Amino acid sequence: MYDMLAALINGTLGWSWPEWALHLLSYILIVTIVLVVAPLQMLFLTYYERRVIARMQDRIGPNRVGPEGIWQPIADGVKMFTKEDIVPQAADRIVHFLAPCVVVAPTVLMFAVVPWGPGMTPVDLPTGMLFFFAISSISAVGLMMAGWASNNKFSLLGAMRAVAQMVSYEIPAVLSLIAIVMIVGSLSLNEIIAYQSGLLISNRDLAGIPDLGLGWFVFTPVGFVAFIAFFIAALAEGERTPFDIPEADSEIVAGYMTEYSGMKFGLFYLAQYVLNFLLCAITAILFFGGWQGPGVNWLYEQGITPANPTGNGLFNVLAGVLGVFYFLLKTYFFFFVMVWLRGAFPRLRIDQLMDFGWKFLIPLTLANLFSAALWVAFIRWGPAEGMLITVGWSPVLRWLAAFVVTLAINLGVYLWLTRVYAASQAERRRAELEELSATV
Amino acid sequence: MLQTQELQVNIGPQHPSTHGVFRMLVTVDGETVVDLKPVFGYLHRNHEQLAEANTYLQNMPYTDRLDYFNSMANNHAYAMAVERLAGIEVPERAEYIRVLMVELTRILNHASAVGFMINDMGAWQTPLAFGMREREKILDLFEMASGARLMCNYFRFGGVARDLPPEFIPNLRELLRALPAYIDELERLLRDNEILLQRAVGIGILPPEVALSYGVSGPVLRGSGIPYDVRKAEPYSVYDRFDFDIPVGKVGDVYDRFLVRIEEMRQSKRIIEQVLEQLPDAKGGHINPKARQNVRPPVGDAYARIESPKGELGFYLVSDGSAKPYRYKVRAPSFINLTPLADMCRGYKVADIVVILGSIDIVMGEVDR
Repeated sequence: MYDMLAALINGTLGWSWPEWALHLLSYILIVTIVLVVAPLQMLFLTYYERRVIARMQDRIGPNRVGPEGIWQPIADGVKMFTKEDIVPQAADRIVHFLAPCVVVAPTVLMFAVVPWGPGMTPVDLPTGMLFFFAISSISAVGLMMAGWASNNKFSLLGAMRAVAQMVSYEIPAVLSLIAIVMIVGSLSLNEIIAYQSGLLISNRDLAGIPDLGLGWFVFTPVGFVAFIAFFIAALAEGERTPFDIPEADSEIVAGYMTEYSGMKFGLFYLAQYVLNFLLCAITAILFFGGWQGPGVNWLYEQGITPANPTGNGLFNVLAGVLGVFYFLLKTYFFFFVMVWLRGAFPRLRIDQLMDFGWKFLIPLTLANLFSAALWVAFIRWGPAEGMLITVGWSPVLRWLAAFVVTLAINLGVYLWLTRVYAASQAERRRAELEELSATV
Repeated sequence: MLQTQELQVNIGPQHPSTHGVFRMLVTVDGETVVDLKPVFGYLHRNHEQLAEANTYLQNMPYTDRLDYFNSMANNHAYAMAVERLAGIEVPERAEYIRVLMVELTRILNHASAVGFMINDMGAWQTPLAFGMREREKILDLFEMASGARLMCNYFRFGGVARDLPPEFIPNLRELLRALPAYIDELERLLRDNEILLQRAVGIGILPPEVALSYGVSGPVLRGSGIPYDVRKAEPYSVYDRFDFDIPVGKVGDVYDRFLVRIEEMRQSKRIIEQVLEQLPDAKGGHINPKARQNVRPPVGDAYARIESPKGELGFYLVSDGSAKPYRYKVRAPSFINLTPLADMCRGYKVADIVVILGSIDIVMGEVDR
């Protein structure tokens, strides 16, 4: 993003700025954009969720404030700010105050590495994905702080659940992402997006295929399983139905947020929606090509890029607009799926959730890692250094072989696991009943 | 070995899913329920003592407020008790109208009970909205007949307050046409949803002998496999003229209770269809013209019980010959069905408590009185 901004600043103002001023100016701009976009996204998401759920329930939803109720979140925000901030007498005041900050800060930080469009990553880290997931797990600390400092049993139960859930679901999430990282060979989110150009199956490896920006990972067997596993883990990590156990309103009131009011509560709310948005965004980036889509790459190549400094800046803007459009379209689609699930499903119990994570998702993602390794062995190792049997195969043949083999492995493991998992669940239920009847 | 400590948690009285002001003092070991003590009385309104200061007719609207979901059923039980006490005859048409209203009440109660239970499982209002959809249409019918949607106050001694308006029967037929699809939809929601099954099957088991020893009644008892229904065991009104089945569960868990409720909705629909076939014309009159509403029953006592949607609802009245009851006692099914809660919850998880409570289907207005 810095390159683009620097070029734009230089281009529009007509004279060459000193390097330090350019840096300062563009980073201030970037930080401002991130800090404005994050809460705005959250405001819109709350409105969007309420409207969609209302439709599912045969209601209209917020429609009083502004046209179609579009200013409702602003009104809610004003309400949050003007509400009394109540701290329970027995609470640990400092930790109680710090907890929302610890929860919000990482989610905003995560925004910094999200590639919004071609050349539009606020901070293009070569280890963007690592940063994203490392930072996201910090909020678990904040949740525990909130639950402990509130000195309320519901809060404590909620925080315990939240931490247990987040910690155990980070494993399948990261395991499913490693498969993608193996195929791409990079942790940079931009690299991962760039890899998904082309058409249909992740085939930057195949020459001579038109670049429509549709080579998404989700079309490969490895990517598909990783996507399903990751999205389920993301639901758990973002505390969305059916995994909204830490704040199960029908059981433990509001979980770790029970003793929060006013803007502190608002901050938790903000963090949660921003995290959900980011999880949807990262799903779109990793498995659905992020801003990739028909036309974006072509437009971007005509514009000013590091490789082509003499291009036309207009094309940068066009590519940016189209890329952001594709990106937001995908992201909002996943958020819609989250809302849809929330409108349709009851929630699981914490022990069922743990079972599912440890006994089903983790074995599945581990098998998927194996598939990913095979995919790499088949495709990325060239004819010269490939596996013994693939030496001399044409790229198309190797690609087909990789597809068939990984599909067979993933499908087989999935079918086998569902049976084993169902059997283990039935066994557990039986054991529980026995134990219960022994106590009664 | 890690030192652990049992935690005492108060669920309620101000809690989103205790169905009113109800408190459960839960001792948990981690997430597992070790013990549970139900505490109620927060909604005590002195209902029974109040009734002794009112005339018999003045009490009729008060019975609406017991179980505010099923005001028609409460009216019926109370009217029957007073009629037995004072020896009032009820014309046939009035009996049929009463049965019709109470069976409609059963459908609306069970629909919302299923919705509320799924809500307690954590679904975000949508199943509840589904459950409420048909309830609205039934409430429209109630409004046509009685003028009120919730607190109907429709029954009188010797009949009902007004005859059915002309538009009532066509509307009812339309509702009956839509009902089977709607009930199937609710059942599919329950049977085909893996998460729901995980949360319901094998949870909150109430063995038949325990259920009997607590005096549980209604869908909770039938869910435990005991085919006891006052409509069959001691037919009152005109129930002996209808052909219907009593669904029973096998295990006595949350799932069985709700399958029983859904099947009962179908049976209620069957009864309503038979009512429509057999309903005498308006010549019979909707109320016994000789019945005085400001009754002064002779000295004595009477007990009347009906199968309300939540279980066996009984009214016991003692008369001293004056215009006011000397003693007025309600046998409320919600209250008695609530007593085995601790036995049902012990050994399950915290999250199961609210589901089990939801599956009992209580209304605090009836528990605390």
